[in-house]
Amino acid sequence: MMLQPDLVQLMAMGGSQTHNGDEEEGFRGAAEQQEEGNPFTFNPQLLRLHRDHELFEDGDVFRHMYLQDLFISEAEEQPAPSISEFGCHISGCRAVFSSLDEYEHHYNSLHRHVCCSCRRSLPSARLLDIHIQEWHDSLFTILAQKQDMYLCLVEGCGQKFRTSQQRKDHLIRLHKYPPDYRFDKNRKEKGTREASREQRTDSAMEAADDVCRSEGVCEVICSVESNQLEQEESMETHASSEEAAPFEDFSASAQTPETNTERLKPKYSYRVPKTVCFGHGSVRGFRGQRGRRK
Amino acid sequence: MWRLNKVRHKAGGHANNLEELRTKRREKERALRQARRDRQLVSKRLLLNEDEEQDTMEVTPGEQDVVTLFQNLQHGGTEKEAFLRPLSKALRNPSAQLTFIKLENSMHLLVGLLTGSDARCRLQAVRCLHELSHSTHTSVASACLPATPYLLTYLSGQSTKFTELCLYTLGNICPDSERVKERLLAQGIIPALAGCMQNHRHNLAVVEAAGFALFQLLQSKDAVQKVIPTVLASSLPSQLLSVLTPDPDFGLAPAIECAWCLHSLTSSSEDHRELLARGALRQCSSLLVSLGGAVADGNTDQGVELLVCPLLRCVGNLLSSCPADALHSQLAGVDLVVLLCELVVALIHTLPALARETAWVLNNLTAHSTESCSALLTLNLVPRLLELLPFSQGINTMVLRVLANVAHKKKEFCIQLAELGLLSALTATLKMADQDMVTLSLEVLFMLIVSSPQIAEQFVSQGGLSVLEAIQYNSDGEVRRRATYLLEQHILSEKYISMLGEYEQDRFNKFWLSFRYSAT
Repeated sequence: MMLQPDLVQLMAMGGSQTHNGDEEEGFRGAAEQQEEGNPFTFNPQLLRLHRDHELFEDGDVFRHMYLQDLFISEAEEQPAPSISEFGCHISGCRAVFSSLDEYEHHYNSLHRHVCCSCRRSLPSARLLDIHIQEWHDSLFTILAQKQDMYLCLVEGCGQKFRTSQQRKDHLIRLHKYPPDYRFDKNRKEKGTREASREQRTDSAMEAADDVCRSEGVCEVICSVESNQLEQEESMETHASSEEAAPFEDFSASAQTPETNTERLKPKYSYRVPKTVCFGHGSVRGFRGQRGRRK
Repeated sequence: MWRLNKVRHKAGGHANNLEELRTKRREKERALRQARRDRQLVSKRLLLNEDEEQDTMEVTPGEQDVVTLFQNLQHGGTEKEAFLRPLSKALRNPSAQLTFIKLENSMHLLVGLLTGSDARCRLQAVRCLHELSHSTHTSVASACLPATPYLLTYLSGQSTKFTELCLYTLGNICPDSERVKERLLAQGIIPALAGCMQNHRHNLAVVEAAGFALFQLLQSKDAVQKVIPTVLASSLPSQLLSVLTPDPDFGLAPAIECAWCLHSLTSSSEDHRELLARGALRQCSSLLVSLGGAVADGNTDQGVELLVCPLLRCVGNLLSSCPADALHSQLAGVDLVVLLCELVVALIHTLPALARETAWVLNNLTAHSTESCSALLTLNLVPRLLELLPFSQGINTMVLRVLANVAHKKKEFCIQLAELGLLSALTATLKMADQDMVTLSLEVLFMLIVSSPQIAEQFVSQGGLSVLEAIQYNSDGEVRRRATYLLEQHILSEKYISMLGEYEQDRFNKFWLSFRYSAT
């Protein structure tokens, strides 16, 4: 991009000019910011452009077309200006859009209601809630052994069932849902930890694949290594049997550089603990942590 | 003198011609672009005889004729002129040019005729030299060196057509080689040009030719050291400035050349004191206001953008040297702000590159001038600038920079900007694929939010939270830092939570509690 300060040809003279006596009301330079750690650095800058600067290219070309008697002033010959595209911010998601609506739709469909634990994307806040409860909440698992916990997916129905199969039957019979409704996948039954890791890997991979296909999760989420999923699911079982597991350790080991180059986890400042899912509709994304905070 | 109307006329030809012309132009444009990237952008001009039409460069008789003509000339006696005319025609052919310079004594003969007592021969001789100067082979330019002291001497003469030819010839050969340029400088081309412009200041064709020659001289790579100081010390800057206002009868051409000279001066050298002292900024900006207004309204003489472009650049670069307190006296007042805004809006679809340059000048104008920033607000120019934010390739970043300049001045300005729609525009620009746009948008957002608590609330109610949250996953660390800082320090504090619904409030409180818990 043309205006990066490290371009040799571009000389900016900022800050040294006297401001017009409105210093009390304006913004000071970053060095004088009252708050520490303030990363904002904008200062108005005078931009001096050398004659060879890229920005002058078109005008120079027209000048020389004129000198060589090839100049035409007609608008038909000039290229139309280009419009900015919108781009998904989520690191690793390279989607680009020509309209805001497309951007919003993409974001809301694929990134908004994302479960912190397993990165699956759900279409609504309610389904995300239910997913987190049923898949990642150990309290739920315990309670479900004794009472009806599986909530009907249809909003307003309110009925609860002892097993997910029962709920599914209910959905099909009463609410006429298709048997292969995509947002009602069963969580695969977990074997004990002694069961071969390959099996669990397979099922985890399967689950991921299902997710990719049926829930329309974007590529980034699909590329999450099976290692990571497996580790997170094993974190689950850990949580139910141990008290307040030090998740930081697990997270650290899961995030060794070799495992995943297209990492979705952002690099936070040191103050933000790794287990807190700070984004994806942070208020809602937090739900996944409730069960762990014991 | 260059006849833009002729070019237009040609373009009005029938379909085949038009298509060929377009293709040829496009190819030429590509070649020029590449030449510029290689820092090899040089053009020459050929002054045609009055009886010649442009574009009828007939295939002239072959080299043999040149040799024959030369031999005839050597033995010609009193009929030399009769051979000179066809020779000049023959020398339009590139290979004939090469042949000619290799003939023994050819240049010696020509110089002799150039300086002889027969005035008509002088004219024809200079025409031959002019044809030679148009060659693309640098060896030809070097071969013309023996003629240069005379060409320079003649610049102080009175014969206008002759002087014009001398000037274009000099202008053509000086960029060709270092040796030629050094020789010309040593022989005093700069004072000669200054004197010539002074003497012939009422003959605009000569003024145009002198401007062209100076422009060519200023293109050399070491112009800053070798050429510009001498130029600035001479009377040329004042003369260039005095020619800037176009003559309604003659047309834009002399002003165009002089303006491009001024641009070369201001963009190659950082020392603008001389030009500022002579009122260059004031003159360029007021001319810009009068010409630019016509461009913005859509009624333009063909080619006025050729003059507006260098004027914009001069103003832009001169602004970068002008101390802030002197700005007011140097400029054409607030009109410039208005004109620049109108211009950038008017040019965005027809000449986007020029619109971008205009936005750059606007940045330099608003960077340290509270008055200009205030004018943008009070004269209701901000909404028009906001409409430019969708356009990429440097336009929206520059326009946003201008708006940032305004915001930076006063918190009051921030509030006004938010009211005029900048805040909602930012929720869109924060989602753009261009990282520079995102970074700059965050900076502006920060300034707006910090200036008033209402703005933060407004931002949240416009759905700004989700954008910032998404940005925290951006691949650029600096961008993430800024978004996080904004969220943590200025938005996600309790008072804004009241804006969320009850359900979300409950969630949020739990989240915030655990966040604080784990952060300690």
